[in-house]
Amino acid sequence: MRKYAIIYDKDLCMGHNSCQVACKLEHNLPVGPKWIYTVTVGPQQKGGKLVLTFKNIRCMHCGNPPCIPACPEGAISQRADGIVLIDPKLCTGCKACIEACPFGAPQFNPETNLVEKCTLCAHLVDKGLKPACVRACPSGALKFGDINKLTEELAKKRVKATVPA
Amino acid sequence: MPKKGARTGLPEEKVVRTVCKDCHVACGVLAHVKDGKLIKVEGDPDYPLNQGIMCPKGLSIKQLVYHPDRIIYPMKRVGERGEGKFERISWDEALDTITTKLKGYIEEYGPNSIVCSVGGKPSKTMRAWYGVANSLGSPNVGWTDNPYCFGPFTIAERYTYGSFIGWEMGSDVKNTNCVIVWGGHPAYSHPTWGRLFMQARARGAKAVVVDPRFTPMASKADLWLQVRPGTDGALAMAMLNVIINEELYDKEFVDKWCIGFEELKERVQEYPPEKMAEITWLNKDDIIKAARWYGTIKPACLYQRASLEMLSNSTQTIRAVACLRALTGNIDVKGGSVFDTFPPGFIGHVYLWFPENRMPWEVEESRIGADRYPLLSGPKAPLGTPHTPSVIDAIITDKPYPIKAWFISNDILLCIPDSRRNIEALKRVDFLVVTEFFKTTTAYYADILLPAAAWIETDDIESCYTNLIACRQAAIEPVGECKDETWIMFEILNRMGATYNAFPVKTMEETYEIRLKGIGTNWKDFKKQHIIEIPIQYKKYEETGFLTPTGKVELYSETFKKHGYDPLPNYVESPYSLVSNPELAKEYPFILITCGVKIGYMHSMGRNIPWLRELAPDPDMEIHPDAASELDIKDGDWVWVEMPYGLSGRVKSRARLTRGIHPKVVQCLSHWWYPEKPGPDHGQSEVNINMITPNKPVDPIAGTPPLTGLMCKIYKAEEE
Repeated sequence: MRKYAIIYDKDLCMGHNSCQVACKLEHNLPVGPKWIYTVTVGPQQKGGKLVLTFKNIRCMHCGNPPCIPACPEGAISQRADGIVLIDPKLCTGCKACIEACPFGAPQFNPETNLVEKCTLCAHLVDKGLKPACVRACPSGALKFGDINKLTEELAKKRVKATVPA
Repeated sequence: MPKKGARTGLPEEKVVRTVCKDCHVACGVLAHVKDGKLIKVEGDPDYPLNQGIMCPKGLSIKQLVYHPDRIIYPMKRVGERGEGKFERISWDEALDTITTKLKGYIEEYGPNSIVCSVGGKPSKTMRAWYGVANSLGSPNVGWTDNPYCFGPFTIAERYTYGSFIGWEMGSDVKNTNCVIVWGGHPAYSHPTWGRLFMQARARGAKAVVVDPRFTPMASKADLWLQVRPGTDGALAMAMLNVIINEELYDKEFVDKWCIGFEELKERVQEYPPEKMAEITWLNKDDIIKAARWYGTIKPACLYQRASLEMLSNSTQTIRAVACLRALTGNIDVKGGSVFDTFPPGFIGHVYLWFPENRMPWEVEESRIGADRYPLLSGPKAPLGTPHTPSVIDAIITDKPYPIKAWFISNDILLCIPDSRRNIEALKRVDFLVVTEFFKTTTAYYADILLPAAAWIETDDIESCYTNLIACRQAAIEPVGECKDETWIMFEILNRMGATYNAFPVKTMEETYEIRLKGIGTNWKDFKKQHIIEIPIQYKKYEETGFLTPTGKVELYSETFKKHGYDPLPNYVESPYSLVSNPELAKEYPFILITCGVKIGYMHSMGRNIPWLRELAPDPDMEIHPDAASELDIKDGDWVWVEMPYGLSGRVKSRARLTRGIHPKVVQCLSHWWYPEKPGPDHGQSEVNINMITPNKPVDPIAGTPPLTGLMCKIYKAEEE
């Protein structure tokens, strides 16, 4: 049962990339692997107007994670609350999960020679705290909480934005 | 749920509440420390300004503190100047050497031969070097960037409002219904403000962004005014024209509180929106729309940033913007632009730079630049700092008098124009002391190189913002022998037998006590209390009047007139622009801007912090795809830039193709160096745009050499 999620509202994001750096600090990551990051899309011409948006890339802790069956070592598992974790003791760094992931979320860490990825800051979440990226996000684009509640909120906001009053 | 504020502290970890100073903002931080070592930092959720958020700069402080290249003990030069050969010395030797030298120079050449140049380096460097210079009797201390940043702003606002309103938290975006962001990108340079901007947008506040580039904030605005670089003054004058001619101004406020309305009304007739639209490359209707919104939606705030201070007519441009705030009555009102409110009795940090008794009149009159730019450098000028291009001249020419000792606390070679000439000055000055974190391009030339402590290693009273004062307390001991710069100041003064000019004390701790005494607290209690926030008071002028000679907002400034300047705001085309130089423009067809910021970098800092460098590994040049394709430039190509202002040479940037810039405009990022390349050059001669930007003053009032709206030619760099 997926319980938690990080939801990204691209309309609020301004591309600070605090998420990336906060994550590196929390998980002590070197230059290279990024468990979460934001890329700029555009600006593009759309209907005579310039549009600039952002895209956030991170592990989605999927409902049916394709990385799990892809791993030949059985190193990837999903907790009861939906958090997908790679066991560093079992990972050999073969990168099969990188191939399998549609989001490009798992990252090869040249310092450990292992593939690693977002843990949803399970060590913090288990203490009732929010993930490091969500806490640092300057624009409020990243939110953490109950997956159903957050997706519903975001969907409502999107509908409101597209349907004229 | 655990208690808010307790956060992730493991039992053996200590969590210290402190305040970040990786830029001018000052966000609340929780520093996690274990066995005296910094483990991590996170935003303080209970701190009013940032409410738990943090930007990449502050988050990376650990990589600065424990950087393998950090200077961690005092050093003296043993090779040729600039050769980079240093030898470790003790603090006693460093301070004794400095004291002996200073005594000699003061005796032989007088105190004015000592110059201190401070930068935005986020530490206590400013008050430290102000204290050293002023206490020893030299008026020659100031920000190195004063004519391009802060100087024009302080002059324009002091002689319009009497004090300052257009900076950072002065713009009350939190409570506004209409916001104009002009010449800056506070989402990156001031993330807490950017957050409030987004909240205002969600509430339905209108937003206008004036910027030659389609910034993330521009993309979130209702109206983006893509102004031709350098013509912001023309836009401001046109908006004044609309607001006055359509009678959108606040008649009551203007009648009661403004001087010179009729004169301004007559003046703005020279700037009709149609004509200004041609000059600014904007659509006339957009100018009118922006003016009508700002004129009619209440309250409205206007945030103007340093880009306006880097123009050839910087001071009058900011004067025009200042008049916009006044005419619409958005002065010191909730949701408008608000003057500081500090707890009564509290002594703010500005007092340490400018104590009442700072210098006798005749001493201030002898400050370098006072003769040419009295409102920047003269007696009782709002900023009262030497004019930096004139300081460089003085060091090289000994005129108006010889400069012998130079204290620098920033990377001056990257931060101000015409770096080659600045290198000449660094080589020529008799005695050069640099306080730094790293061996920067400037630090390489030092005779004495002193290791500075970072914000997380020092105590302070943070009082930069409106109605909030907070306690910065050292979370860790300084690494190695690094020292708080104010400690260095007191050591020098005490050894010289001089008295600190702000307060007659011998240590920084004593200054905390004096500053806090008036609000009935002391340093020990304040450390526990951490924050003192008082309600913002509005319309303070109703009690005190404005702090101008007339007590009113001076749309027309007698002071300006007395100094021979235009008493009314105006717009003058830059002599460096492509419009002023149609012949040269054939060879140099692009307009260059250099004011952009990256989220990870504060001025020249951050290039050697791995997590920050990863966000922006090279200096990029923003260029429109149409312009790039004509020159066969592809995204990621290296591109040479040349300018026609008499400075030979070229620098390169990496093309980043974007539709968010006009096809005739390119942006090169300033302050670039490669810390990983060998010093003293650190690769700057190839990538530092200030190698070829001219340092000749153009603005008649602040002496600003324009750093934007310049002409350039560009061409693809061949593979090497």
